[in-house]
Amino acid sequence: MPGGLLQIHDPLKPRGHAVGIDLGTTNSLVAAVVEGKPGAFPVDEGGSLLLPSVVHYALDGSVIVGARARVLAAAEPTSTIASVKRFMGKGPEDAETKALGAYRFATGGPVVRFEVKGGPPVTPIEVSAEILRTLKRRAEAALTGKVEQAVITVPAYFDDAQRQATRDAGRLAGLEVLRLLNEPTAAALAYGLDKGSQGRFAVYDLGGGTFDISILELVEGVFQVKSTGGDSALGGDDIDRAIATRFLEAHGLASPDASAITELLAAARSAKETLTGKESTELSALGKTFPVSRAEMERWIAPLLQRTGVACRRALKDAGISREELDGVILVGGSTRVPAVRTFVAQLFGKEPLGDIDPDQVVALGAAVQADLLTNRERQDEVLLLDVIPLSLGLETMGGVVEKLVPRNSAIPTAAAQVFTTFQDGQNALDVHVVQGERELVTDNRSLARFRLTGIPPLPAGMARVEVRFEVNADGILSVSAKELSTGVSQAITVKPTHGLTDEEIEQMLLDSIEHAEEDIHLRLLREQQVEADRILHDARKQLATFSDLLPGDERREVEAAIARVAELRDSATDSQPLADAIKALDDVSRPFVERIMNRAVGTLLEGRRVEDV
Amino acid sequence: MHCWNCQSEVGAAEVCPSCGKVQPVAAGTTLFDVLGLPRGVDVDRAELERAYRERSLRIHPDRTGKDDPRERRLSLERTALLNEAYKTLRAPEPRAFYLLKLHGLDLQKDEARAVTVPPNVLEEVLDLREQLDSARAAGDDEQVSALSDRVRVLSAAALSTARSALHRLERDPRDAAARDEAAQALARLRYHHRFLEAAEGGDEDET
Repeated sequence: MPGGLLQIHDPLKPRGHAVGIDLGTTNSLVAAVVEGKPGAFPVDEGGSLLLPSVVHYALDGSVIVGARARVLAAAEPTSTIASVKRFMGKGPEDAETKALGAYRFATGGPVVRFEVKGGPPVTPIEVSAEILRTLKRRAEAALTGKVEQAVITVPAYFDDAQRQATRDAGRLAGLEVLRLLNEPTAAALAYGLDKGSQGRFAVYDLGGGTFDISILELVEGVFQVKSTGGDSALGGDDIDRAIATRFLEAHGLASPDASAITELLAAARSAKETLTGKESTELSALGKTFPVSRAEMERWIAPLLQRTGVACRRALKDAGISREELDGVILVGGSTRVPAVRTFVAQLFGKEPLGDIDPDQVVALGAAVQADLLTNRERQDEVLLLDVIPLSLGLETMGGVVEKLVPRNSAIPTAAAQVFTTFQDGQNALDVHVVQGERELVTDNRSLARFRLTGIPPLPAGMARVEVRFEVNADGILSVSAKELSTGVSQAITVKPTHGLTDEEIEQMLLDSIEHAEEDIHLRLLREQQVEADRILHDARKQLATFSDLLPGDERREVEAAIARVAELRDSATDSQPLADAIKALDDVSRPFVERIMNRAVGTLLEGRRVEDV
Repeated sequence: MHCWNCQSEVGAAEVCPSCGKVQPVAAGTTLFDVLGLPRGVDVDRAELERAYRERSLRIHPDRTGKDDPRERRLSLERTALLNEAYKTLRAPEPRAFYLLKLHGLDLQKDEARAVTVPPNVLEEVLDLREQLDSARAAGDDEQVSALSDRVRVLSAAALSTARSALHRLERDPRDAAARDEAAQALARLRYHHRFLEAAEGGDEDET
C-alpha cells in the first residue's frame, strides 16, 4: 500500500496517531510505535525523553511544565505542583494529602484543590491534564501529525477513583483514552514482545511515588496477568524523605518552611542518585552539609524494602506459583537503579533481575505497543492482554462490615451480583455504599460511591429483594446497577467516585480551558495548520518524486505552484486561515494525481492476486 | 438459535460461524459449557487453561465488537462470564461449591442456612477460633501458624469428603444422602476458610 498523499483521502484510516503515555509521579514520557518499533519522543529541554511531572502556575496565568517548572519549585513552592499523581482521586481530608508538604489547599468540596497564583484553584486532574497536553504537543511535533488517542498507564494498585481521575485528565487534555494500562503489565509487554518469549515473569516496579508488583504469564499469544499488588504510597520519594529526615535531625531543625523542605528534598534526591555510583557523598542544603554513605542510606531504606517484600510474597501466593517457577524478574522505575533495591530483589526472588530496557522508558514503550495493538488492524492478532482488578470490590452491609463481591485479582472484564433485603417493615429505600479494599470493616477501606435505591414497594422486613450488580470493564472501571426483584424497579448508576469530579464539572473545565486559551487560540490553530502543512508537503514531495510519470506537465506546474504556496505560508503566515486554504488548494489540485496513483496501486494489487491464484 | 445479526443458525456457538459476531449466552448454559469442558468433579487443568486462552482470543472486547455497540456489549458480557468460569472451575474448591449449586444448593446464598452442621463440628471451629484469639493476644506467632496448619489438614479432609460425595451425586442426581454429605463437608470448609482468612489477615497487619 503506497503511503503519503493517499492517506489523506482514505476515509477508513483514523487521522491521528495513537501513543503510549507513562504519566509518572516524578517524570512522564510519551512513546509510539513507528515503523514497527516502539520509541520515546523528546519532550523537554535538551531533547530529554523525560518530562519532569512538575507544573508551575505563573502570576500572569501562564502554565509551565517540566524541567523549567522544577527549577521554579524552590522559589514558588505553593504554585509549583510536583508529584501530583499522589493526589489523584484523593479527598482533601485524606491523611496522606496533608502529609505531602508545601501546598496550600482550597477549603470545601470533595476534591483536593491547590491554591496557585494567576488563577482559581486547580484540581489534580487539571494539573495532570497540563502534563498530558504538553506530552501530546511534543509528540505531535515529533510525529508531524495529530495525536488523538492514547493508552495511559496507571499503577496496578490504583483504585477506581484514581483510575477515573486519570481517565478524566486524559479527556481534559483532548485525548481519547483507548485504555488505562497497568504499569507492570506495560513493562512486561515491552519485554515480552521484544523477545517473543514465553514464560512467567515478576515485574517489580518501584517508581517515584508508588510500588507495584505483578506476576504475569505469556503463553501462545495471550499475556495473562496472574496477580498484582503493591502500595500506592511508597516510592523513591520516600527514600529522599528518609535522607532528609536524618539531615533535619542531625542539624536539630524542627520545623523548616515550605521552600526549605523543597530545597532539602532536591538535595536528598541528588545525594541518592550519587550513591548509585559512589560509596559516599555529601549532601548540602540550607547552607549546611551532611555526609551520607551508601551503607547508611541502605540501613535507612531497609524498612521500605521490607514493605515491598510483603507485597511480593502475597502476589506470588495469589498467583499460585513459587519463586522457583519464575522465568524472569523485570525491574521498572528509576528507583530500581539504587543498588540496594537490586540486591534486595535478587535475594527475594532468588534470581538476577533483567534490566536491558531502560527502566525509565520501559512502561511508556509497553504502552505504545498496546496502543499499536489496539489501533493497528494488522497487528491485532499478535498478543491479547488479559488483566486483573487489583483490589476487591464490595458493599457495606449491616454493622459496617464489607461484603466482597469481586475479589482482587479477578480477570477483567468481570461482573457480579448480590441480593440484599430490607430490614424494616415498609422500608422503601435502600442505601448502597460501594467500597474497595481488602479489609473487613468499611472504615478501613476506600469509599468509592454511595447511592440510594428508592421506590421499593412497602413490604414486610426481609421480603423486598434488591439485586446489586457490579460490572468492571477492561479498564478496571466500575459501573453499578440495582434492581428490586419483585417489582423490577431499577437504577443504573454511573459510579462517580466520592472524591472525583462529576461529568458536568469535567465539561465545565473543558469549556474553561478553551476560554482560557482564547488569547493563544490563534497561535494554537496556526501551529496545528503548520503541523498539517509539514505533513502534506512531505507526502506531496515524496509522491511527486516517486510517481512523476503519472503527472502531465501542465498539471505538474499547478501542483508545484500549490506546494510552493503552502511552503511559503507555512513559515510566513501569522493567521491559520490562509494556510488552511492553501493546504486545501493543494489537496484539491492534486486529487486527480492521487487517484491515478491509487488506480495503479489497485492494479498492482490485482496482478498480485492473479499470480497467487494461478 | 439464530444469529441476531445475519439470522443464520448458530446453535450454542459463542461466535456466529457465518458473520463472526459474538452471540448472547443461551439460557441454561453452565460454566462448564462456557469453557467447553465436560462437566465433572475433576477437570484437566491444562485443557482448562487452553480453552480459556482460545475463547478469550475469540470474544475479548479488545478483539471484537469495536465498531458495533451491541456486539461490544455482548463481548463484554461473554468475557465476564468466561472469566467467571475460569475462576470458578480452575481450583477444586470453588468447583465443588459450583457443582453443588448445579444440584440446587447454593452455599454462597441464604440456602446455606438450610444446611445443619453437626454441633461437634461447630464446637471444634469455635474452639479453634478461641485458641487463635488467645495466641494472637499473646503474640505467639508459632502457635498461630500451628493452628493454621491444623485447619489446613481439616479443610483438605473436608474437601476430599465433598469431592467423593459429589462424584456419587454426579452419577445419580437423586442420591439425597450424597447431596447432604457434600453440603455438610462444604459448609465445614467455609468455616475453615474464615479461620484461615482471620489467621492470615492478622499476619499482614503486623508486618
